[in-house]
Amino acid sequence: MLSFILILIAGAFFTGIIIRTKSIASGRKGPGILQPINDVVRLFKKGAVYSRTTSFIFQMAPTIYFSSVVMAMMLIPFGQSKGLISFNGDFVFFAYVLALGKFFSIISAMDTGSSFEGMGASRESLYSLLAEPAFFILMGSFALLTGYTSFQEMFAALHLGSYISYAIAILATFVLVMIAMIENSRMPIDDPKTHLELTMIHEVMILDNSGFDLGLILSAGYLKFALYGAIIVNLFIGMVPYPYAIPLFFIIQFLLAIIIGLIESFIARFRMSHNPQFIFALTSVSLLIFFGVLLVLGKFI
Amino acid sequence: MIDVLLITLLITLFYMAIANRLMTYIKVLAIQGVLLFVVAFVQLEEINPLNLGFILLETIVVKAIVVPFFLVYILRKNNITREAEPFVSNFFSLIITTLIVVLTVLLSNTIQEAHLDKIFFIVAMSTLFFGLYLIATRRKIITHVMGYLVIENGIFVLSLAVGNEMPMLVNLGIMLDIFASVLILGIFLNKIGDVFKDVDVQQLNSLKDV
Repeated sequence: MLSFILILIAGAFFTGIIIRTKSIASGRKGPGILQPINDVVRLFKKGAVYSRTTSFIFQMAPTIYFSSVVMAMMLIPFGQSKGLISFNGDFVFFAYVLALGKFFSIISAMDTGSSFEGMGASRESLYSLLAEPAFFILMGSFALLTGYTSFQEMFAALHLGSYISYAIAILATFVLVMIAMIENSRMPIDDPKTHLELTMIHEVMILDNSGFDLGLILSAGYLKFALYGAIIVNLFIGMVPYPYAIPLFFIIQFLLAIIIGLIESFIARFRMSHNPQFIFALTSVSLLIFFGVLLVLGKFI
Repeated sequence: MIDVLLITLLITLFYMAIANRLMTYIKVLAIQGVLLFVVAFVQLEEINPLNLGFILLETIVVKAIVVPFFLVYILRKNNITREAEPFVSNFFSLIITTLIVVLTVLLSNTIQEAHLDKIFFIVAMSTLFFGLYLIATRRKIITHVMGYLVIENGIFVLSLAVGNEMPMLVNLGIMLDIFASVLILGIFLNKIGDVFKDVDVQQLNSLKDV
């Protein structure tokens, strides 16, 4: 319950902080921190316009996308306290509930019959397909390391002792940040500010959505950032008591937002053909984490 | 500590597999030289000034400073284009590099030998095979030299894997190898650059008898 509320609060500010960092880095004053929330509230007040070529799938997809993210939020623990739902192997459920939402957003993009949206959908599915093994190898190695298979027990049992576990923690943070960037279609993979449909991935898929539906999709994106941020926080606050853990949660989320803002300010988007190799590199790195875990456990040597 | 450094060495291999520019390759080689120095330094049992000086000379001076600068000099002198121009796409290079690492781990798991330090063995063998792969898939001669240097780094790690103290003779051999290879190939490259004005191994094919 605690983690759910904290992720909601962090999600409200996360995108605002990213946009503010980007505007400060480019020498502008920039909009207020709460501007993304105001945008979403404005969109929620509007009705949606549906194209006549679309079917019921297009109308229900944004709702399913949003609810899949909320469902995934319920699974995230906070230190010692469980998430709203917690069972053995819930990290598999986490990955596939997000994949379900993504699936619906992909078929709703196909449903519009626009060639641009089909192209965006195909790219989105390719990139999330490549990012999936990285997430599973990473979570699988944590399960192997700690001997538990649910998020809460896994993160509670995780503690840093030797040099190699520091290396594993740093690599895991890197992989998770990059997966968050891919899942949210942010800078090194996709440029959210681009104006050319040919270079878009996520933005081109939601071109036909408007009003309430667009608000749902945008707010799901904000929450998704805070969601991955919360997983990263959980890597570090296994045993920390609440009075320290809650400020630490916001500090790490804040730092993460600033780092993402800086990455977006100073790195150019990759060429489309360079994206698959970059995403697959995450899988290679998580394989190294897996071997590191084997090393810690003494399965070889 | 050593594990962390060796894992970093493996990550530099992944980076090399997807790098596009020759300058990136040279920078990665310099980083590998520094990493090897730290690994050897931590691995040393007693600080013997002679031994330490020798390792310092071999890794920092030769691997991280002299050879990279020499390679940059060759690049500048021969006006070699900046791209590495691999035969296969970078994506497949990355997959194959990952497969190399996985296979070496599996291979090392089958070896039952108490004296062998497994993580050194894994890193050494993957570096070695990756060097071979680099030589096999890149088009330019200068990348062949770089692949050769990667293999040298692998052998350096392997010499750390088998014995705790480095045999002086092995060291001497490695260093001589590096000097000879880089110098000879550098001169070779200069000659080719003068004659053909283009350093592409494809052109060597025209030398064969028909």
